[in-house]
Amino acid sequence: MDSNPISKPEISAAIDKLWTKFLPEIRERVAVLEAAAAGFEANTLTITQQEEASSAAHKLAGTLGTFGLTRGTVLARELELMYAEDSGPDAAMGAKLTSITAELKGIVEERK
Amino acid sequence: MARKILIIDDEEDIREVAALSLESVSGWEVVTASSGAQGLARAMEHKPDAILLDVMMPGMDGPTTFRELRKNPATARIPVLLLTAKVQSTDQRRFADLGVEAVLFKPFDPLTLSAQIAGILGWS
Repeated sequence: MDSNPISKPEISAAIDKLWTKFLPEIRERVAVLEAAAAGFEANTLTITQQEEASSAAHKLAGTLGTFGLTRGTVLARELELMYAEDSGPDAAMGAKLTSITAELKGIVEERK
Repeated sequence: MARKILIIDDEEDIREVAALSLESVSGWEVVTASSGAQGLARAMEHKPDAILLDVMMPGMDGPTTFRELRKNPATARIPVLLLTAKVQSTDQRRFADLGVEAVLFKPFDPLTLSAQIAGILGWS
């Protein structure tokens, strides 16, 4: 390491500021997942929606843990895998998609 | 002397958190690029000590960007660390086979990312 110019609490505070900055974008990704889950339950999920949901879940999986939301990363990964299936999520998975997405949203909204 | 790192990632939030981490924790100089093409240009311009390269990007993806970096004598020897949110073992093997220095996984811990990179590259 070359130097340590900023303390750990200062870095955490800076990361919190970035969370606030990027929260609208993160919420948009969650909204994509909510729309996809609703579409799946209504049997109107399109291929495009499925691909967008897989991409949104992938991005959330990479991002949420970086902001300390490790459970959020686990849930987003699960959704990514479900939407990444060529045939889409399994027919029996509708309720699970909705509940995982709701939990994910709660985690995002609860972070201070 | 401060190290210089080029971060190539299409996701702005990841770029900013990684840059904050590397600059704040270790005092490294950080240059960023939001696409593979921009990353190739920045690598030529800035000659970084290492490149942190996202795998999944629209247009030129990480593996293609890596191969282009290796083709260019000016950037061929710069250590490249892939950064990916893919966790499936088949993906991991495919990325490792490219010949990069290491494959790092998202999410990363902003407080330890620079130590991880320094350890891999043998930077004291």
